[in-house]
Amino acid sequence: MNKLKAIALVAVMLLPTMAATPEQEKGKAMGNPAAPLLLELYSDFMCPACKHLHQVVLPSIVQDYVKSGKAYLVFREFPLNIPAHKYSRQAAAVAVAAGRIGKYQVVSDTLFRDQAGWGDSGKVLEAVSPVLAPAEQKKIQALMNDPTVLADVQADVDRGMVSRINQTPTIIVTYKLRQQPWTQFQDYSLFRGYLDGLLKK
Amino acid sequence: MDSSKNRILTIAVVVLRVLLGAVFVYAGYVKLIEPWQLFAAGIADYDVVPISVAKIVAQTLPWVEVLLGLLLIVGRWFLRTSSLSISLLLVVFFSLIVRAFVGGKDISCGCFGGTETISWKTLLRDGSMLLASLLVTFYAFRNRRMPAA
Repeated sequence: MNKLKAIALVAVMLLPTMAATPEQEKGKAMGNPAAPLLLELYSDFMCPACKHLHQVVLPSIVQDYVKSGKAYLVFREFPLNIPAHKYSRQAAAVAVAAGRIGKYQVVSDTLFRDQAGWGDSGKVLEAVSPVLAPAEQKKIQALMNDPTVLADVQADVDRGMVSRINQTPTIIVTYKLRQQPWTQFQDYSLFRGYLDGLLKK
Repeated sequence: MDSSKNRILTIAVVVLRVLLGAVFVYAGYVKLIEPWQLFAAGIADYDVVPISVAKIVAQTLPWVEVLLGLLLIVGRWFLRTSSLSISLLLVVFFSLIVRAFVGGKDISCGCFGGTETISWKTLLRDGSMLLASLLVTFYAFRNRRMPAA
């Protein structure tokens, strides 16, 4: 009986560490939440530099730090409130809605790939439909009008404002409770060197 | 009266010199305890030099700042060289900060590591430091030997 109690106690203590993080539940995270580094990537789907980061730099970050268990990567929406990015918030809502059905990655890949197309026409949902089954398209369409999805987008923006994000893309690197924004992605070796330097500390 | 004024001025210059030296030592130290890539990224954000040059500057400048700061604090050796070098560095730093601020660049100044975004406060602080360094340099050249701290 005592043994059972002990097992139950250990299970209760471990429960918080086994539970999915809110980002995992929403399909907007990669890697181990207990990794030493937390990387929060703030992007705008209409931003060309974000497209470059997503397509060129991000695969290396995932390979070197996320898959190796050194970093937990969280995707955050930061649609810029400027006239040239008039469909950014809509695209963010589509991505967040896709995250709710486990399709965040494939939808965000598509949004960045076809950035010029839907960026001109504003047909965001149509742009991602080729990578979704008809039932998934319907779900995302319904979710886009869900106030909680819009609230999730706004929550990311608010979080970014608190972290003083002033441009996209920005990765907020958190290591040992200290946050540092990183915006320089022209040379990946610089970012890699910085993360390696932190991990050696 | 003149002698008393001169004495006050001399003390003021010494105080300024030590403070300026301490600020430079601190500025170099806070960069050295961080991975140098952070400072290199900050330099690259100014869009003045290519990343390859930013990498070299990031690995050398903090040491130069510490060395010049220490020389300025001690004030015994190479005082004219150190005060003039610090003035020249501050002219460069201040020009870059003004250029970024006027150009509307919302970037970190990179002055003391961290994430301080360029603002009026940064301009005021660096401008004051530049004026102080010019004064210290002027006195270093006027008086062959300044009083040590």
